[in-house]
Amino acid sequence: MIPITREERQWFLRNLAQGLVDYMGVVEPPVPVEDLLRNPPPLYDSDFGVVDMYSNLWDATFARPPSQRGSIFVRIDLEPEERRFVLARETLSALITSKHGRAMGLFDLLLPNLRESAEYFASCLLAPTSLIGAYHEQGGRGRGVARTFRIPQSIALRCWEDFATINNK
Amino acid sequence: MSMQALNQLVARSIIDPSVVQSFSAGRMEEVISELDFSNDMQKRLTRLEAKSWAEYAVIAYRYVKAAEEVTVRIQLPSPLEGLLPGQDRTEDEQAA
Repeated sequence: MIPITREERQWFLRNLAQGLVDYMGVVEPPVPVEDLLRNPPPLYDSDFGVVDMYSNLWDATFARPPSQRGSIFVRIDLEPEERRFVLARETLSALITSKHGRAMGLFDLLLPNLRESAEYFASCLLAPTSLIGAYHEQGGRGRGVARTFRIPQSIALRCWEDFATINNK
Repeated sequence: MSMQALNQLVARSIIDPSVVQSFSAGRMEEVISELDFSNDMQKRLTRLEAKSWAEYAVIAYRYVKAAEEVTVRIQLPSPLEGLLPGQDRTEDEQAA
């Protein structure tokens, strides 16, 4: 695999997330990430799923038991915004390890920086540039991003900054 | 428009297996020709070789980004503007 920069990786992840947003036909926030996982595109029928668990060890993790559907195992007691974020984050692992994801070459491209890639992907999936742009055009402010997009405040801040950076290029 | 076309292609590829199938079969020309790329960029993207679709997309991004940066540079005003003969600036203004 060729070496790639963070900017290139983020561009790629942004567009993968936008592809899923387009598939869902989302025209306004919040992006229904759990609906995507419970009713996935046919291509990911055996890769997307959600299982609630009691755990003190982690917030969410993707696992693919042998010969079974891959699922995101998520702590049942998370705040709704946090739950949405960790589900979106683990969706990247589901994509990377899926048959189609492997055919795309996602594994080699994204595995070396999986955690960072997954968090960036999650922010793009929950607050895609297209929707942040529309929100901004309608007079939306940075302080309202978390509430409008139903994401954690720290992630909202980063999304807003990223949008400003991309918009100014 | 080229970058927008590439963005849409990458976005499509996550849910449409035909993009990756075309890449794997060496038929990217069919996909690229349907999109809004200049003739020169179409040729470059059609000839582009990569080990995977993801790698192809990143290299295509480099090509398209480089081409768009050249276009932006060309659109910048020349540093010679105002110093060429026949322009409406007096000797005094130029001296100032």
